[in-house]
Amino acid sequence: MSIQLPLKNKPISESAKEAIARCLTPENEILFTIIGDLTMKGKYGESILAVSRDKFIIVSPELEGGVAEYLHSDVKNAKVKRMYGNARLDVELKNGRKVSAFRFTYSVASLCDMAAQFILHISEGKDIDEEMEIVSATFEKLMSVCPKCGRTLLHAGAECIRCQSKSKIMNKLIKYIKPQTKLLLICLGLALLTTAVALLPPYIVRIMVDDILPSKNKGALTVVVFALLGAYIIQFGIGALRGYLLRISGDRIVADLRNDVYRKAQYLPMKFYDKTSTGSVINRIAGDTGTLQGFMLRITQEVVVQFFLLVGIILIMFIMNLKLTLLSLAPVPLVVVSAKIFGKKIYPFYKRIWRRWSAVSSILTDSIPNIRVVKSFAGEKRAVSKFERYNEEWRKVDTASAKITNIFPSAVSFTVMCGTILIWSVGGNMVIDTGGAALSLGLLMSFITYTSMFYGPVNFFAYLSDSYQAALSAAERVLDILDAEPENDLHAGEKPDKVYGRIEYKNVNFSFDRTKKVISEVNLVIEPGDIVGIVGTTGSGKSTLINLLLRFYDNYEGEILIDGKDIKTIDLEYYRSSIGYVQQEPMMFSDTIYNNIAYGVPDAPIEAVINAAEIANAHEFIARQPDGYDSMLGERGVGLSGGEKQRLSIARAVLKNPSILVFDEATAAVDSETENMIQEAIERLIKGRTTLMIAHRLSTLRKANRIIVVDQGKIIENGSHDELMALKGKYYRLIEIQSMSEKVRKSKEDENFE
Amino acid sequence: MSRLYIEGDMARFIKAEANLINVELYDGIKFDMLEPRRLFPISGLNKYITLLDSEGNEKAIIRDLDSLIPESKKVVTDCLNEYYMIPKITKLVDSTDKFGVLKWTVETDHGIKTFDIRNRYSDIKSLFDGRILIRDSDDNRYEIPDTSKLDKKSQYLLYLEL
Repeated sequence: MSIQLPLKNKPISESAKEAIARCLTPENEILFTIIGDLTMKGKYGESILAVSRDKFIIVSPELEGGVAEYLHSDVKNAKVKRMYGNARLDVELKNGRKVSAFRFTYSVASLCDMAAQFILHISEGKDIDEEMEIVSATFEKLMSVCPKCGRTLLHAGAECIRCQSKSKIMNKLIKYIKPQTKLLLICLGLALLTTAVALLPPYIVRIMVDDILPSKNKGALTVVVFALLGAYIIQFGIGALRGYLLRISGDRIVADLRNDVYRKAQYLPMKFYDKTSTGSVINRIAGDTGTLQGFMLRITQEVVVQFFLLVGIILIMFIMNLKLTLLSLAPVPLVVVSAKIFGKKIYPFYKRIWRRWSAVSSILTDSIPNIRVVKSFAGEKRAVSKFERYNEEWRKVDTASAKITNIFPSAVSFTVMCGTILIWSVGGNMVIDTGGAALSLGLLMSFITYTSMFYGPVNFFAYLSDSYQAALSAAERVLDILDAEPENDLHAGEKPDKVYGRIEYKNVNFSFDRTKKVISEVNLVIEPGDIVGIVGTTGSGKSTLINLLLRFYDNYEGEILIDGKDIKTIDLEYYRSSIGYVQQEPMMFSDTIYNNIAYGVPDAPIEAVINAAEIANAHEFIARQPDGYDSMLGERGVGLSGGEKQRLSIARAVLKNPSILVFDEATAAVDSETENMIQEAIERLIKGRTTLMIAHRLSTLRKANRIIVVDQGKIIENGSHDELMALKGKYYRLIEIQSMSEKVRKSKEDENFE
Repeated sequence: MSRLYIEGDMARFIKAEANLINVELYDGIKFDMLEPRRLFPISGLNKYITLLDSEGNEKAIIRDLDSLIPESKKVVTDCLNEYYMIPKITKLVDSTDKFGVLKWTVETDHGIKTFDIRNRYSDIKSLFDGRILIRDSDDNRYEIPDTSKLDKKSQYLLYLEL
């Protein structure tokens, strides 16, 4: 074993090093050190747990002498007590003394879990080198984080998806612009043409005022009027064409972006959806992509056009009159500074408005699909008042931002107009004083028109940072999805020829958010063809065991093996296709019955679908539907009973022909008669396949050749029905309660029938 | 079995070990080594404190902590303070944004702490009672009880994210 000792999670202070060294003999080295962040009294500060071959040492300022040490051989039990926002390493010594040895936040919780296990195993006489392999693996996993952003990497040394792409944010967006290059270049060419034409009218005005009108030259007037007409036709005609082409390219950009975000959203792991509301995901796909599209068009089109316009106007103005040009430039610094302040003020509002709108959307996505529950509990008023409360929050923020978005630009425009007044005043005096020799009336009028045109691009560039801020905030949220780590190795990994269905859980530990262990030290072997019933009270961890097997969550400790292979090394798509999963509440799509059954195998032959429906006891009720297999289901399967939906979901699993079957309380929500039909279907389906059934009804478990009982994330009983009944443990008690409630249920059903 | 609610002087609480207590009811019934836990830790209610045995089974509920005799109230409060660590942020010293991850340095009633916030949209929550709840990238929790009591700079830094 080539591990560089001692392993540690961060640098250790010199004083702590000395304190530890004082507890050691020369031949006894420290194997690993955990640098925590809490003192025993719960204050932030350095505290250390250092573990050697024969003892562990605690360094904390509140300990007597700053140090405490315990021999592994004196330890009877060591465990981590997880509390709220902090945790403790509690040790029970063989002399009966109990010690709260080390206190820490969740930042080092997984390391302390490992340390507790190490100390306990060494006290039980287990091999230190073998235990050190687990220790080094835990350290390696913890250190597999991106040094830039701290995200957990797929493995040590892997490139961080987020940082890699964030630094190339423009490249990410350019990817969507590239396919539209031709169209955008045409638009740009047209824009430059219209811009050049737009510079003409003020010049024509000067000619009219200075030359044509005073000389009463009607012929020239007609020519100039037609020239003006031509200029406007070109300007607005081409403008309309350009607008149309821009819309086409913009639509394509936003459609591509939305497709990508939605595609990525499909492949995001469950933990993303555990933390992100549906409303916020919808907002990103619907709203933020639109904001980004606007920004992309702005930077590829308007920036060039406005720059061209700005340079053109300044050149013309300089040629016309240097003094007046300098005067008209006077408000520019003010505009730029104001825009900077504006950008700074408005940026938080964009985020805030989005947050509030997301909250409103979340209520919509929550209450509209649950409208039956709302109505049945007469909750309409409450739903409306909750919506109004959130909507009011949104309104307040939006109104507050409206102040800034309107007052600032108006103040700036006012300043600019003051600049124009200044030019009228200075220029007007020049025209009057010199009788038009230094400055003609036409030139003044033409100049003032150019000045007002000049502030268009100035404003544009000044507020570009504002639209950049809005786009940045949208990009951040869109990239949150686009750059989120997808489910690992979706199209990588092995594709074994066949999945036989031997399942093994090896030392599996799991927690959703480090605050509470949901699965603890699970070791379990299921042989091919085994039918295993999983029982336990609600919240015991049954479904989580299944969720880990289905790889909905990959961040567990330990290993899950299928036919001896770590499931993380198997291609995820292939792997999931070999598992049939029937949930307690079957989810249906708003589609035909046929397509709902064929969801997992869209190209299945029609007869295979019918056959699957037959096996699932669903064919008869489908045949009774006026539209048969073409019956359209409402959202989430509205129109079918719970039992019917369940049979469709079983048919879906049958069609997949999986090697492993998982039933998560498949018959929990149906009556006895339907349960029998479903039970029959299940029995037909499970023949020769490894089957895991989460169930609490004895009737469901009767086919299981093995039963495991899960309690507080641990497997506490494992054996056949008879063995567990003889054990008179938890299973026995569950079955006793079950039998009693079953009798009551049956008699009630009979009563109702009579 | 009906739920046993404890209030007033109907029980005496004695500190056992760590965050555990022994309970003696006025009728002589005793429970040892119970763990007090808040039923409403986020709402911050000082009421409805459940008392769990080592198996996690509820033995009783303290209806209102403030109604207990002072000694008992102190014992239970100490245990709750040991169990629940939600540092109260008194000052936002620094806030930087790198690659979309916020790094905050804050002063709290537990000392100074620097932590990362991965997702500012889901990890900073503003409640309707005016409190702000924060979760860092390690799942540690923090609370800002009253934003109006923060200094100007802290308010501004917070305001940028809310």
